[in-house]
Amino acid sequence: MKDCLHGMLTESAREWDVVRESDGYLHVMVPEERVLEVILGARGRCGMTVLQLISAVDRMETGAFQLTWIMEGDDDGSVFMVSAFYPREDCTVPTMGDLWPAAVAFERELREMYGIRFPGNPRQDEDFLLEGWKEIPPMRRDFNTLEYSMRTFGERRERKHIDPREYISEMTGEWDTPVPIKDGEE
Amino acid sequence: MYCNRIPDRPDERKRIWDRVDDMARANSLWVTAYGTGCGAIELRPLHTSRFDMERFGIAMRPTPRQADVLIISGYLAVKTLKRVIRVYEQMQDPKYIIALGSCTINGGMYFDSYNTLNILDRYLPVDVYVNGCMPRPEAIIDGFSLLMRKIKDGHADGWKHYRENLDFYRENQKSVISDWDLPDYNW
Repeated sequence: MKDCLHGMLTESAREWDVVRESDGYLHVMVPEERVLEVILGARGRCGMTVLQLISAVDRMETGAFQLTWIMEGDDDGSVFMVSAFYPREDCTVPTMGDLWPAAVAFERELREMYGIRFPGNPRQDEDFLLEGWKEIPPMRRDFNTLEYSMRTFGERRERKHIDPREYISEMTGEWDTPVPIKDGEE
Repeated sequence: MYCNRIPDRPDERKRIWDRVDDMARANSLWVTAYGTGCGAIELRPLHTSRFDMERFGIAMRPTPRQADVLIISGYLAVKTLKRVIRVYEQMQDPKYIIALGSCTINGGMYFDSYNTLNILDRYLPVDVYVNGCMPRPEAIIDGFSLLMRKIKDGHADGWKHYRENLDFYRENQKSVISDWDLPDYNW
């Protein structure tokens, strides 16, 4: 499996970095224009036929979204992860809905949570979890969740902090100061 | 099919027969089997033999039309709120709400979430809050016994409050549900 993936990556991706590699696990970073070829090669030639997840990370500092496709081999359960950076502004990513029907749902979620567009996904404009959302997508890091929560749901009630030492002394009138443990003692 | 007519104001006259009704209601609380959040997992031990809530006359019902109690178990998302409003308004009067967990009181650990309501009783009338994250099954039984006491004393009238202040609740509900497509009152 590993040899197959390495050979396929050399042919399809040309330049690629290994993020992490261990027994039955390979995570690589490829250029964004090579993603589709790498995924097609892994699926068609190396037996990575199960799509586990498509995930995104907002790398706001570098102005990019890191998308990761996590695939699993159907015979030995080995995991292959392909990552690529896409520009954050007006982010457009090829859809994998033709390869895996499950990808349609993952891509809908990413469209809603990050605003990433997947041209060719037939259901990308349907609401997934948020109904009638009007702000910027909530998982983008420039979305201020606390400010939104206070503006929409109102100020939360004040919390009263109770110090256990004072509370127990008040209730029982005494507080046994714990003896500090010295070094070397259990 | 909905009845869109807003319900009449309840009759405020206390009759002796109401006290008898309340005694019966308190001892047979039927709960809508609907979990809104993580707290629903703490209701499962209550059904089974260890905590056995049927000894208090509390039973789960599959449909809101047969139920008296709605448990808001844990955090309530905006999307779930819409379903909860429909469930609550379909229930027959008198009906009671028990709110489990810190999230229903002040947002709990999700106080800054984009999708979790912070203070539940702005949107629905809560009769009993059970504190904790998560509350243990014993705490939930304690909450039920408090609700029983309130019903017997005639103080568990959140459902009356909801009818009388429907405009207040509707305004708050519509302020967070941006794609409001429910009828005026769907019971």
